[in-house]
Amino acid sequence: MKNRLRVLRAERSWSQADLADRLEVSRQSVNAIETGKYDPSLPLAFKIARVFGAPIEQIFSED
Amino acid sequence: MSAAKAAYRRYLWRFFPTMLAYVVIVLGVSWLFDNHQEPAGPIAYMLAILPAIPIIGVIVIMGLYVVEEKDEFMRMRHVMALLIGMGLILSLTVAWGFLEIYMHVAPLNAFWIFPGFCMAWGFASGVLAWVYR
Repeated sequence: MKNRLRVLRAERSWSQADLADRLEVSRQSVNAIETGKYDPSLPLAFKIARVFGAPIEQIFSED
Repeated sequence: MSAAKAAYRRYLWRFFPTMLAYVVIVLGVSWLFDNHQEPAGPIAYMLAILPAIPIIGVIVIMGLYVVEEKDEFMRMRHVMALLIGMGLILSLTVAWGFLEIYMHVAPLNAFWIFPGFCMAWGFASGVLAWVYR
């Protein structure tokens, strides 16, 4: 899966650690999702969408 | 970040005291067996098995971490490390077992399986931490 996490983070000037705090996960988790090494579960994807205030499909897309 | 690491902190708080208990029990049991008052009968069997209890506790603690970790990625990484560790130690011990059967090499003391697993698991944890740094 492709994602726009890095761009959305940059728009808000959030570090990976900032986003991790908001999602209540580790920084490594954010990095793994952002680099496409790990696809989040549906609940975590919804949480990411809620944090960015955008629908899931605007953040994640199929390869 | 504290919420994200709560399960891991709990894991460490359980792991280290249990390992300390293991060391104390091993030293105590070894002292009993090495000294002139060598235990005998069913008591000796019970004493000999005693050090296994904290080790079984550590296995339970590893499982509890999988259940309690809320960070799904860290949970996946922990499970992967455990599976790689188990895979490595099972592969090595089954290969050694066949060497024992066909080549009559020195039999492996079953005691070494758990420390071997811990080494393989630690190695796998390190590699995964580096891959997903």
